[in-house]
Amino acid sequence: MTVPGAVWVYAERHRGAFRPVSLEILGHARGIADALGAKLVTITVSSGEDSARELARYGADEVVAVGHPLLTRYDTKVFTGLLENELRAADPSVLLLGATRDGQDLAGRLAVRLRTGLTAHVTSLEVDAGGQLVGWVPGFGGGIEAGVVCPKRRPAIVTVRPGVFLTPAPGASASEIRVVRPALDPGSFGSRRVSYEPKGGTVDLTRSEVLVVGGRGTDGDFARLQRLAHCIGGEVGATRVATDSGWIERERMIGQTGVVTRPKVAVILGASGAVQFTVGIEKAGFVIAVNRDPDAPIFEMADLGIVGDLAPIVDRLVQELGEA
Amino acid sequence: MPTADAKPLVWNDELWEELCRETDAAACYQCGSCTATCPLADRGQLNIRQLIRLGAFGDGTSDPGSSAPGLWACTTCAQCNLGCPRGVDVVEVVRHLRRRGWRRNQVPSGLRTLLWAEFQDGNPYRLPPSQRTGWMRGLEGPAAGSSDGATTVLYVGCTASYDPRAQRTARAVARLLAAAEMPFRLLGDKELCCGETPRALGVDGLFRDLSARTAEVLHSVGANRVVTVSPHCFDALKAGLSKEVEVVHYSQLLDELVSAGRLKASGYHPGLLTYHDPCYLGRQHGVYEPPRRLLESAGAKLVEMPRTRRWALCCGGGGGNMWRESEVGGRLADERVTEARETGASVLATACPFCVTCFSGAKTAGRGTVEIVDVAEILARAVGVPS
Amino acid sequence: MRSVVCLKVVPRPEEVRVNLESKTLERAGVRSVINPADLNALETALALRERHGGRVTVLSMGPPSFEPYLRVALAVGADEAVLLSDRAFGGADTLATSYTLAQGVRALGGADLVLCGEESSDGGTSQVPQGLAEWLGCSQATYVDELQVPTPGILRARRILEDGTETIEVPLPAVVSVVGGANEVRFIDYDRWAMAQQAAVRVIDSVALNADPASLGLKGSPTVVAGLREVRKPGRRREVLTLEPEEAAARLVEELHRLGVTPT
Repeated sequence: MTVPGAVWVYAERHRGAFRPVSLEILGHARGIADALGAKLVTITVSSGEDSARELARYGADEVVAVGHPLLTRYDTKVFTGLLENELRAADPSVLLLGATRDGQDLAGRLAVRLRTGLTAHVTSLEVDAGGQLVGWVPGFGGGIEAGVVCPKRRPAIVTVRPGVFLTPAPGASASEIRVVRPALDPGSFGSRRVSYEPKGGTVDLTRSEVLVVGGRGTDGDFARLQRLAHCIGGEVGATRVATDSGWIERERMIGQTGVVTRPKVAVILGASGAVQFTVGIEKAGFVIAVNRDPDAPIFEMADLGIVGDLAPIVDRLVQELGEA
Repeated sequence: MPTADAKPLVWNDELWEELCRETDAAACYQCGSCTATCPLADRGQLNIRQLIRLGAFGDGTSDPGSSAPGLWACTTCAQCNLGCPRGVDVVEVVRHLRRRGWRRNQVPSGLRTLLWAEFQDGNPYRLPPSQRTGWMRGLEGPAAGSSDGATTVLYVGCTASYDPRAQRTARAVARLLAAAEMPFRLLGDKELCCGETPRALGVDGLFRDLSARTAEVLHSVGANRVVTVSPHCFDALKAGLSKEVEVVHYSQLLDELVSAGRLKASGYHPGLLTYHDPCYLGRQHGVYEPPRRLLESAGAKLVEMPRTRRWALCCGGGGGNMWRESEVGGRLADERVTEARETGASVLATACPFCVTCFSGAKTAGRGTVEIVDVAEILARAVGVPS
Repeated sequence: MRSVVCLKVVPRPEEVRVNLESKTLERAGVRSVINPADLNALETALALRERHGGRVTVLSMGPPSFEPYLRVALAVGADEAVLLSDRAFGGADTLATSYTLAQGVRALGGADLVLCGEESSDGGTSQVPQGLAEWLGCSQATYVDELQVPTPGILRARRILEDGTETIEVPLPAVVSVVGGANEVRFIDYDRWAMAQQAAVRVIDSVALNADPASLGLKGSPTVVAGLREVRKPGRRREVLTLEPEEAAARLVEELHRLGVTPT
């Protein structure tokens, strides 16, 4: 990179609010931009301008607010085109996006549109001694991370999972706001939305302080885990085996291809501790594990492990917590 | 008058001819003795006679024989074969009808995933093949198997390899063989599933594929005898391997070793004990006495349940039901454990990992009722080797 | 309906070992499987073929050792298997991979629908389907669990998003990424097994692919693995106890109270 370009962060909107992951990234990106000696810009696409003012409180040097009344929902064709225009004009060196479903839908298309590199699902982002941005992605052998760089093309596009960075606190308004009003009509869109059905009670495990997680050993009885979770103010999560078996919604799957969590307390019940799962919970403050098998790998990552049958233990525990 | 929703059934020559070619169904004269003998029939879950009948029909759009309720509830216990006056292998007919279901992709949900696990992971648990030797923890010396010259392979099987409870049985068998100075080989993580579940579910192709791959591995280590932990592996390997390899169940081999004085049991008296004949050891292969002799040599006083030997009530685990969390299995196990308790015995012994798992999970089992133990573990305690 | 399903063969995650010095994967003796989500994509394609007719081709980019896995796909029900294989394709990141696959689809004469698993279990980026769509210049629908063709030329796709499901319509041709677990994949049809073993798997190299060499493999990959490091896991207490339910519950209540999460 000869000319130091800006660090751009895509702030994704969803149903009238910013995706928390976008703000997490924006908070972390200030440090990255400073280390690179670069400007920090955040871009958002929405149907109104109020969101720009909110975004301006998160520390970017500039907010690019692309607005048009028709932009009430995500569309691959329109969004890719809008971002392409702004990126080609500004020529930043880095673009960061949250690895949400729509975020990934966009990032992958944009990377090829711009013939540039994309590093996905990083668990940390640093600037190395040579002033190069390095995204660390977990290696699938477990225990290994690969540092990925994009030295020859720009912008280097990087996606970040929710919960990897901390939620920043908004400050006093500081960013400059630049408004962009593209010319759009219904024919500009590549897709037509037939319906959208929100899930009742959105569960965001990445924000839970207490998690009760179940695996194969629950034998499908997640009601038992719900009772415990209720007692200790927690949410229920699951391993891939449990969600694949249809015992609980996929959205509660914790792990390498699920949700990465960082609760204060994790109670892991009947999960052997395969690495694809543990990468989603290893940042927990305190880990309690219960498993029938004394050799289960989960005990390697537990602070307190109990070898035994989870059903009578949990039932008894719920009883004692209720009586306390 | 037929009810409004009774779609006309048309005799399907092709289906009937195939049924007759691949099974003994042509001999069936629809007497219903099989249904009368079936432990699931009086629970209204399975009508074998009707299944065989439907196997000859199609209605143009579907094959009622392969989608009939109850077809997938069958545990392949083979009690029906005891009742048939015409000598039909009824279980084979069930497998054949299940095969049709696979051809039409009409099978209960969960079974396709199970088969993919067998195919890709080499076990029905979807656990990594590299963890197959986890059961060997703590085994040392000859109990960990030997390679020089041993022509007998101890075939552990998926359940004893991966399930913590069943792993204890495998360790007991290994230590008993070592105590008897009976050298044996282990296949390690090259051991594949014996294919009993695909076979029971009617997926013959996968069963044959697994058998062929197992035969290759056995050949490469020069094995001429295989001793299994599970009666299901015993049955499947007997059916799938050529006659060049002798297949025995551990109870048969240990019985020989005890009779020959190579294993001395003493010092452990489990008291009043009842023995459950696993379907795949007892009824289907006539192995009733060796496990009983082993228990007696361990000092147990045996009391028989009313339904004993070839009339033993299935634990509910066979026929693919182990992995389906089906109601079927649950009720059979509950009943059998109650029957065991009612003999006054404090221990229910058996020689099959499926039975141990099913009985342990029965609602009527639990603390203060009967202790459920595998024969190998009882013998191990009497011989003085740990498990 | 002409469908192409992209398949990737991935090493079993628990068996992969990384060589820290050479920054490469130790492949010797490691077992592989077809990427699970790709099987869900295949099932989606086969179900569509049942309703609308047409052909399903499986396409993969990899070494010759991928062939047996393509034959498995044939035995499951695919009509044809094609392998893009050439040393020049090696070391590709998402940009080069999606480019190569797009050229592969073109070499097949194009398709109405290209399906991929949402991401691959070997640390996949989940970006190949979108990249493919861009190279092919067609519509995309990502994180889909259900597809329909309500009228010729229109694809209706149900997308599974974080907090809801969105159903959209896009014009065909389209590239779709199918979520893992979207359906229960039909098992191998053993009546097709012999045919699958004997079928000709079409192998296409970089020359036959008519591709721009600068866009292939390592050369065509803007991202590079610069380093590997071991993950520093927080030190855990690892206190493991075997307790009866009553004692276990008491111990847990103690700990939970200390952590401040017990009901007050």
